Order: sequence, then structure tokens, then C-alpha cells
Amino acid sequence: MFNFSSLVQKAQSAAQQLIDPMQGLNLTNSDKNPAKSTLYQNQFRLPSSQTPLYEIPAELTIPPSNVTQGDKDRDRGWHYAGKLHLSEAYVCFSTTPTSFVSTASTSTSSAFTGQTHGGGPGGNGFTFPLCAIRRVERLNSQSFQFALAITTWNGISQEASKEKDAQKDKKDLREQRITIQLAGSRQACERFCDGLKRGLRSAVGHVPKLKRVIGECYSEYLLRPEDKKNASPPDAGLGMIFRYPGDPKKLRDRAKMRLWAEYLRDNGRNATLIRQPTFHKLIRVGLPNRLRGEMWELTSGSLYLRLENPTLYTDTLAKFSGQESLAIDEIEKDLNRSLPEYPGFQTEDGIGRLRRVLTAYSWINPDVGYCQAMNIVVAALLIYMSETQAFFLLSALCDRLVPGYYSTTMYGTLLDQKVFESLVEKTMPILWEHLVKSDVQLSVVSLPWFLSLYINSMPLVFAFRVLDVFFVEGPKVLFQVGLAILRINGEDLLDATDDGAFIQVLKGYFSRLDESAHPKSENPKLRAINRFQELMVVAFKEFSGITHSSIQDLRLKNKDAVLNNIENFAKRTAIRNLGPDSKLLNPDELGALYDRFYGILYERQQQDRIMQEDQLRRAKASKTTAAAAFSDHQDHGVEKGRVGLGPSTSLMDYDAFREFLAAMSKWAISDSPSSPRRDQFPDKDQGQYFGSFRKSSNNLLSPWRAGPEPADHEFMQRMFRRWDVDSSSTLTLQDVVTGLAQIKGKRDIMGTITYFFELYDDDGDGKVDREGILRISEALLFLSRRGLEGSLSVSNSNPSLSTLADANGPVSPPIGGSMNERFLGSVSAFIRRCFEYADPDHPINQAGSNQRYEGNAKENSDGSQTADNSAFVIGDDDEEEEEEEEEEEEEEEDLLEFEGPKESLKSTKKKPGLPSISPAIGKSDTGELRRVSKAQSEKANVALDPSNPLHMTLPTFRMVVLADELLEQFFESSFPTSIHIIDGLPTTAPPSSLTTFSSFGRSTITPVPIPPPGAAGATRGLRGVLDNIVTDASRVAAEVRRRMEEAQRELEKNALPGQRDEDDEEEEDIPGPKTADGYSGDPERRSVRSSDRDLLDGADAEAGAGKGQDGARQSILGSDETTTGGSGTAASATQRIVEFEG
Amino acid sequence: MPDSANAPKPSSSVKLVLLGEAAVGKSSLVLRFVNNDFQENKEPTIGAAFLTQKCNLPTRTIKFEIWDTAGQERFASLAPMYYRNAQAALVVYDLTKPTSLVKAKHWVAELQRQASPGIVIALVGNKLDLTNDSGSSGPSESAAAAAAEGGEEESGDARKVSTDEAKTYAEEESLLFFETSAKTGHNVTEVFTAIANAIPETSLKSTRGPGAANAVSRVGDEQRVNLTGPREAVKEGCAC
Repeated sequence: MFNFSSLVQKAQSAAQQLIDPMQGLNLTNSDKNPAKSTLYQNQFRLPSSQTPLYEIPAELTIPPSNVTQGDKDRDRGWHYAGKLHLSEAYVCFSTTPTSFVSTASTSTSSAFTGQTHGGGPGGNGFTFPLCAIRRVERLNSQSFQFALAITTWNGISQEASKEKDAQKDKKDLREQRITIQLAGSRQACERFCDGLKRGLRSAVGHVPKLKRVIGECYSEYLLRPEDKKNASPPDAGLGMIFRYPGDPKKLRDRAKMRLWAEYLRDNGRNATLIRQPTFHKLIRVGLPNRLRGEMWELTSGSLYLRLENPTLYTDTLAKFSGQESLAIDEIEKDLNRSLPEYPGFQTEDGIGRLRRVLTAYSWINPDVGYCQAMNIVVAALLIYMSETQAFFLLSALCDRLVPGYYSTTMYGTLLDQKVFESLVEKTMPILWEHLVKSDVQLSVVSLPWFLSLYINSMPLVFAFRVLDVFFVEGPKVLFQVGLAILRINGEDLLDATDDGAFIQVLKGYFSRLDESAHPKSENPKLRAINRFQELMVVAFKEFSGITHSSIQDLRLKNKDAVLNNIENFAKRTAIRNLGPDSKLLNPDELGALYDRFYGILYERQQQDRIMQEDQLRRAKASKTTAAAAFSDHQDHGVEKGRVGLGPSTSLMDYDAFREFLAAMSKWAISDSPSSPRRDQFPDKDQGQYFGSFRKSSNNLLSPWRAGPEPADHEFMQRMFRRWDVDSSSTLTLQDVVTGLAQIKGKRDIMGTITYFFELYDDDGDGKVDREGILRISEALLFLSRRGLEGSLSVSNSNPSLSTLADANGPVSPPIGGSMNERFLGSVSAFIRRCFEYADPDHPINQAGSNQRYEGNAKENSDGSQTADNSAFVIGDDDEEEEEEEEEEEEEEEDLLEFEGPKESLKSTKKKPGLPSISPAIGKSDTGELRRVSKAQSEKANVALDPSNPLHMTLPTFRMVVLADELLEQFFESSFPTSIHIIDGLPTTAPPSSLTTFSSFGRSTITPVPIPPPGAAGATRGLRGVLDNIVTDASRVAAEVRRRMEEAQRELEKNALPGQRDEDDEEEEDIPGPKTADGYSGDPERRSVRSSDRDLLDGADAEAGAGKGQDGARQSILGSDETTTGGSGTAASATQRIVEFEG
Repeated sequence: MPDSANAPKPSSSVKLVLLGEAAVGKSSLVLRFVNNDFQENKEPTIGAAFLTQKCNLPTRTIKFEIWDTAGQERFASLAPMYYRNAQAALVVYDLTKPTSLVKAKHWVAELQRQASPGIVIALVGNKLDLTNDSGSSGPSESAAAAAAEGGEEESGDARKVSTDEAKTYAEEESLLFFETSAKTGHNVTEVFTAIANAIPETSLKSTRGPGAANAVSRVGDEQRVNLTGPREAVKEGCAC
């Protein structure tokens, strides 16, 4: 992901939507090098749709005005050197040495410096929406210089009254005209101007929007022309009705208002305001009541959010009208208890506004929803501004100014508490030491300060003064004020020895903020300074070193610890809250599961975002107007998904589930990486159920990142569906825990067997049909293809089969070979027995199987070696097996006969279809075959005949499983232990751990025929085994031939519909044509072919049962082997079979 | 309480934390206990509210430092900050709301695992006034039975959590158990008294801060102060 970081940032910045909760906190790996656009947006408080397009050094000249006092240069007005920035819809100027150092790449840049350190509109300058610019002229006065004169729509709302005599008011409504001298190279200047021209052109349409937006600004009313003196003022908050808090006289509200009116008249109002030093001073002394809302809106940048989408508030309310949510319930509880002492909030009017603003916000940012303390903040805002303004200011607040404060995990709050603590430690070490010694936790005191922005800690009038500065200068103000409070009360606090005393000291202090700070002073001026003023001085003078960037640094430093804490807590809580099933797993397992679950989700989200952004970037690159790319883009940006940052998703889809399994179980790792996903689920609804996942697979970037690509086997799909209790196509942690608890928790073989059975009992009627039986065996092979785990010990003498009523006699000593190979045999035996003992759905079948039973009985008496034979038939190992084979041949002619057809099948490469039934039966029932004949086997075939449906019940299934020691152990230990919850899989690449069967599981290999060499490589393991069998037992060869022909004939007779279709078998890669020479070629060659045939032999057991994915192909396969044999798909059938057996 | 170090204080401090789902009446219980008052609309608790109240026992006075935490789910991650070092906890549920008991159980489990060992936990079912047995002393079997058969519609009984159920759970987990009404005041003082009694002498010695160290030497004082009735003690709340 790091490789992509720069492109990600770029895309991010383009992609950020209006609301980007992480933006201010900027918690990515790009923390150290935030995206230029982020810095730009932060500095000018612009919506996240804005990206810096051009920037150029420039000198701003503001013409002298006849009103403003001070030391201006009367002739030339004011000059400011700084930088001019252009984005899609804004042109901004700031004297603050900005941001973007020359070495900065296109996407990153160093941190800001300057008064607000990028945390707000510091310095002098302006932030003009392009639609607020009326005219730009190029001045040629200074020949070699590039100068622009910008005329704004200042006072546009009044000009709307197109009275002719407005002309004479013109002098009153002085046009705001500023001059900017660009200092870049000619080329740069031209580029900038071109950009500006384009921007202006597209901004023309937005002028009416601007008019509407600023029409709600009080400044327009304040500066209204004489002829409109009777206009009604815009909504400037509840204060207009219920009075503003505090004594206006004491606050010197009138005087402030006059100063502001003058400033605004000279420097433009609202959208066209120019920041000069007086502006900052005026804010520091406290805003006048009626302008407070507007200035908050302007300085916080929420005005620009409103300008971007003026109707968002009313639209949101209308859109969600009547709907309910948890947030609304929570809001409702708190409405009556938000600044209840303010008269406005004792009325329905005030309560209604509060309700609407909080509700609307909870809809547009459901991730935050509603957090207690927001009610207090919004209540405070509503005293000074309209609902709409408060709504947008709340957005700006939650998303940028105090990011993460109100999130569901409140990580921002906790993080800033840590930051605050470290600042205290650094700036007031003695106090800090005292706190540590007396075990007072600072944040129990300071947390509410930050969370409610001092609003319910200090008397309202003072809290609002803090807010005045806070909105301009950003969150660092909260820290500065907090530190100042501690500094001023330092001595008293040093006396406090516990939380209670500590709180008491501060509570006392806040209640006396309006008292003189120096009551005993001789100096009346000093005496007049109240404690709040003192606080402000201490905060901004003494702690001027606390800057946006120093806070950002500390946030970075503490971020991980805080998030880890939250995550540990969340984990603890989540695990504890898991249902009773979770008790089946031990705490370590639960913990590991939790980590894996969220780990996968997190990583996948990251991955998705990168891919998304990559696409976005491409999309953007291909378009000249980027607008489409980021409009409506609902990506909440940075580092979503981490639990500590609040909820993003806690649902795991099927692809995530695969990945989740692949991290724990080797069987869940794909054998054919990067193969296109193929829907294996034949059921009609399955296509849809799983169809929606991973649409992005055609993406350039692998969706699996570094980890092994997970397999996609039907078994996993079944597991997923089984775990997906509510059929939502997603799993919760609870689902996963419950699902795993059932497998791993019980440690009870019967339970596991039942579980397995139920997985395949689709309709829950307690029966698994033929199809299901084959799927089960397929799953067994799938699960074992990388080797079995757990404690497996096959005792040599255990005659497990004899426990069956119709058992086939004593088990011969196990034939050599690895456990896996034996397991192969077990599965083969499993299939056979399943069909043997399955209950026919119709009486006819009953008869058939009865007959078969008889045969078996006879066979018993013969003391044949069914189980082991079958085991070794399928693919048991080389020498020993061969020896065995030979022995058998020698000892028992019949057996040889049996083996014969099998071998023959192996070698009949051209007859993939043939292996269908008879050999299967034959194989599975040696005695039978040996003793009997085709007739007999045909009868047996009834079991596989789809026209004679049969089913297996749970007891049968159990019996069959328990009949085989290896299977029993598989269910008892191997399967449960194959899921390594805690330690996961070793990181070594899966291929290295592949067993000989590893390659058999290529259930998803591409259907393209692979040339023999490659194929040989892929399947070398098993084939080698079989090669040996054949070569060494050369005697068999002739027999094989003969048998093969027989079998073929038989096949033609027995060809059945419902065989396994080749689609399933596509994986095999030996093209048909080659097979021909396989027969006549050198022994090795031939043996390869015969081994293939052998595989086919196994396959047809499967095939006969009808994998049933593709009816059309089935018939081809069944009736005409040659055709299929010749095609690549048929070749792959072999592979599939191998998988089946392996 | 501000200066436990200076003025000879006969009481030992006990840090008590209230936990429980939102709107079960945590703050109301505290308000009833501390101010013997009840408000329909209490300001929401941001982070946590801190209040103190004394509780006089025959042998000692316990000064409760009460941390009343915010109930909203997302504040849960702040809780460790408040129950840190707590010697007692009041886990409150609303006996008209079964989910609140589930939440309460979660809190109990959290405390048992994460809080200081030996913390005294009381499980409190609040809003008894909404049930039939409101005001009656002690849990009434009939109410529990009525609740069990879902008979609230016939009797106007909003009880949804039977006394037996909660009690059984409390016994399993060795919790103190009470059903209270902050509105009527029923059983409220009893809860705190029971907690005070349950705090082991040894844990008082190890209370936080230097003041706590003196707790033992002040036993004599404590007894003297006992004479000063139960309710007149400190009434200091803090909104912070």
C-alpha cells in the first residue's frame, strides 16, 4: 500500500467529499506529509472538493479607504506580500508563509507555518469564491509586471434591487476593488490567469447561489443601504428572540458592532471579506452578538460548505422526514437537557431547531450519528445562528475542527486528551508530577472541556469568546486555553490531592471568571482586567508555542497507543458480548478470531480504497473536468475500517470470508493463484448469492494483496451460507464465532459429523442425495489435498469395517503410502459405502441394492480386502502398493482381474467418459467385481443411476464415516485442527507446503488446455506414483488393454446421463490427442496415460453421480468419450478427478 | 472533601463508579442519594459527573466519591478512565427494559476482569416505581410471578425483568442486589449503605491519596462524627 501512497493521496484529495471526517486529523501514513490539497483546504477552510491548481507569489494592494483609522499609507493603501492560490472554485490569498515548499511534490508538502499553522485562515488575505468575483482586469500600468484588478460582488444582495437611483448610492456601496501583482515568471502568470479565466467562466452560474447564501448573513443587513432600513434582519439565532447571553453593556456589544460595521464596509463582508490585522484583533476581543454566527461560519469555513450545497439542510430533513433511527432516539432524550438554563431552550421553538439540526446531521453522517455533547454545542450555536448555518458549522466542526471527537469510539477525544496530558507534562512538569503522584487523572477533568468546547464548563459568555478564537485558529485554541487554566490555578491544584479536590478547584475558578484578576492592584487598569481576560492572555501569549503542527505531531505520536487502547476495549467488549457459543472457544481463540476478523475487513477496505482511488485517478486523468470524479463521492477517506476509528463495517462478505479462512487453513488457499473466479455453485440462486462479490476482479491490482489467494470451493460457499444465519450475504463476528465454535469448539466427532452432514443437507430434510454424497466426498478431498493435520494414527489391525453389518471381512494390513494417500482410499471407500448403504427413494432401487448386498455378503465370505484395495486403487503409493498389487495378482487371480479394468481405464486416455460407473463399482467392491461380471456391476450401477434417486440419512452417514478409521479421525481431529485460529498459517508460501496432492485441487483452473509438460509438472506427484505402478507392473499392461476395451464397451452400454460433466473436470490439462500415442509410446508415456486413466477411473464414480453442472456436456461425456477425450476440457476432467481423489 | 489532607477528616473515601445503559437512572440514583432530589429532565452526563456524599456506619464514615458516567454507548470506551481504582461500582439496569440487564451483565464482566480486584459491585434494578410492587419493601413474589407470565397489561406492571432472574444472576456473580426507585427514593440509601458495609476494612487502608493513609488512625474521629446525622454531609456536585 505504501507504494501507492502518493497516488492515493492525490486521488484522495480529489475524492474527498464535502464531509470528510478524518481530514483534519489526517491519520494516514501521509500524516507526516499531508496531501497538499489537505493543507490547502485546511488553511483556507475550504470544502474538500477544492484542490490547489495554481499558486503564485503575489502582492496584494488594497486601496485606501477614507474611513479606516490607523497607520496606513494614504496614497497607496495597504500592501501585503504573500501567495495567491487558485482552486476549482476559489481564489485565495494569504500572507501566511504558506504551506507548499518548493520541493514539495505534487501530492505532498511540508507542514504549514504561520499563526494558525495551516489550522485556519491565518495571516492577511482573502478567500474569494470565484462566483463572488465580478470582474478581473489585467492592468498594464507597470509594463513588465503582471497585475490583476479584481472587483468583487461585495454587497451583491443589495444590488439586486435594481433601482435606478441606486446609482447615486454607488458611493455608499463602494465597489470592492483590489489589485494583485503576480510575481512569478511570465509563463506562470499566464498559466495562472488562464486557470482563473476558466474558473471564472464556470463560476458564473453560481452567482445566484451566492446571493442566496449571503442573503442569510447578518452583515448584509447590517450594511444595508438606506433605502432598505426597514428590511427584516436575517435569522441570527435564538438570541434575537430570547436575548443573547450576557449583559450587552458589559460586553460592549454596540461598540463592537460599530467597529465591525466599519471593518466590513472597508474590507468586504462575508464571502468577499479581506482579512487584515484588525480582523484578528476584533475577533480576539469577542464578536458582537449578531455578527457572531456569521463570523463563526466564515472563519470555520462552513460558509463555503453552505455555498457548495445551500439546500443540503432542508433537503436532508425532507428526505428523511418521518424516518427513525437510533440516533434520533438518543437525540430525543437529550433535547430537554441542552443548555436548559437558556430561555430559548425552554420553548418548542428552540427545542425544535435543536432537534432538526441534530437529526439532519445524524443523517448526513451516520458514522457519527449523535453523540452527547453535540446537543450542547449545537444549542450554543443556535443562539447565534440559523438552523442551516448551525447545521453546516456542525459539519465543519465534526469533520475538520474536532475530528473524531464525537465518533462512535470518540477516538479524537481520547487522543486529544493524551495530547493535552503530554503538553501539560512538557509545559508544567511540577504540576504533572503532582498529578501523577496523587494519582489524579487529568482527563476526567479536561475531557468535558474539549468535548463540549468549554461550553458547559465556563459561563456561556466566556465559552463563546473561546469559540470566537477557536473557529479562526483551530483546535490548538482548546489546548492553549486548557493549559492556561491549569497554569493559572497551578498553586491551588498542587494542594489538591485527589480527583474531587482537583475538580473543586477548577469549578471554583470557572465560577469566578468575571472577577478581577488583580483585585488588589493599585493600577485601575490592571484591576479592570478580569480573570477571563487574564486567561486569554496566558493562553495566547504564554502558550503561543502550542501550534497546529506541534499538536499534530503529538497526535501522531499518541495515535497508535490511543487507538490500541480503544481497540482493546472494543475487543474485550465484543468478545464478552458474543453469545453462549463463544464459550466453546477459549479466550485466546476468541481474541485471535476477533483480530483476524477485523484485520481482514480492515485490509480489504484499505485495498478497496486504493483500487477505487486508482480508478478514480485514471478516470480523472482521462477527463478534463474532474468535477464528475469527486461529485457525490461518498468515500470518507482516510484509514477507514480500523476499529478504533469508529465503525465502518463489521460485516464480512464471501470474498473476505475466503481470505479469512485462507489465513487459517491451508486447504483454503487456492492452488491456482490469480485465476479468474468461476462460479461453481450450480444452484440457481447461488449465482446471485455469490455473484455480487468481487466485481473488481478485473482490476489491475490484486484483490488479495500480499496474502495467498484463497480458494473458492463449493465447500467454502456452503460453510459461508451456513454461517450466514440471517442470509444477509455477510457474516458478523458473531456468525463467525458461532460457526467456528461448532466446528472447533465441540471436539466431538458426532457433532462434527452432523455438522458436515447438515452442510450438505440443503433442504434440511435429513437426507443427502447422490449429488450431496459426491459433494461431500469432494469436500473431503478438497480439505485433505494439502495433507491432513491433527492426530492421525491408523492402527494396522483395527478391523473397523467389521463393525458394519455387511462388512467385508478383515482388513488387510494397511498398504504403505502416506496418510494422504490412505485418506484417498478412505474417501473412495466412503463413496462406495455411501452408495451401498444409501436408502433408495424407490422400492425398485431397494431391490437392486439388496441384490448388491447379497453380493457383498458373498464377498464377505470370500474374505476379500475391500477397503484396502479400494484405497490403493485410487492412488495409493508406489512401490509398496505395487508390491501389494503384485502380490495380490499373484495370490488372487480375481483381484488382478479387478485391477485390470482399472488399469485399463487408466490407460484409456481417450475414454474419459467410460470410467463412469462400472469401474467405480468394481473398484469399490472388489469382491463383487472379482466374483462377478458386468451384469452384476450393472446392477450395482443402479445406485448411481439418477433415474433411481437415493439418499443418505445422518445415521448412515455416521456409520459410513465411523466405518473408516481414517475418516473417523478426520472428523474427530483433523478437520477441526486444520483451522489454526491462533497461530494461523506459517507465512511461507503455500506452494512449498504442498503435498503430492497439492495440485489436485485446481478446481478453478482455467479451462485452457495446458501443454503436457506443464501438466506433467503440475500433477507430477500423483502421476509419478501411478507411473510406477504401471511400469513396474508391466505384466498388467496387456490385461489393461484388454480390460480397457471391455470397459469401453461396457461404458457404451452404461453410459448414463447425469454424469459428472466435463466442466468440473476441465482442470486436467493433457490434451486429448496426446493420449493416443500414450498407448503405444514408451512405457513412461504410456504409463502417464494409464495413470490418467486411472484417475478417470476414480472420476467416474464421481461422474456417475453426476456433478451435474452442465447437462449438455454431461451427455457428451457420457455417450461419446472420443469427443470429449479430444477436447481440452475432457483432459481437465482427469485433473478434476485427481482432485477428487486426492 | 477538597482537603482531606489538612482538616482532620474522620471519613475514609471510597471511589464508587456508576455504570449502566443510557437512561436507566444512574444520575437520578446519585441525585437522590446526594441531594435527596429527583428531576424528570436531568442534564446528560458528558464524560462523567463527580459528586460526593457521606455514608455513616456504626463503626465508620464512608465518604463516597461518586463517578456518575455517561450512559451513551460510545462513552463506554471512556469508562476505564472512571472505574480505574474504584473500590465500588453500582451497575444499574432498568427493570422495565430487559436489554439493560444484558448491558449490566456486560459491565459486571468488564469490572470483574478489568477493575481493581476486590471491587464491590452492586447490581441495581431501577425504576421500581413503574412496577406493581413499587414502594413495598422487599421484592414481592407476586410481582415477579406476574412479570414472568407477562401479566403487565392486566396490572399496569411495566416490569420486564423478574426479581428472581436478576437475583439469581447477582448471587452467581456474588453481587449485592437491590431493586430501587430513584423517583420514590425506595431502597436508594440502602444500596449505598450496603456497599459501604461491604467495603472491606483492608481496602480502605489502601485508598488513594495521602489522606487515605490516615484513615485508620482516624477511627476515633469517625465515630464522633457519626453523631452528625446522615444527610447533612457534603453536598457538592460538580458539573465537570
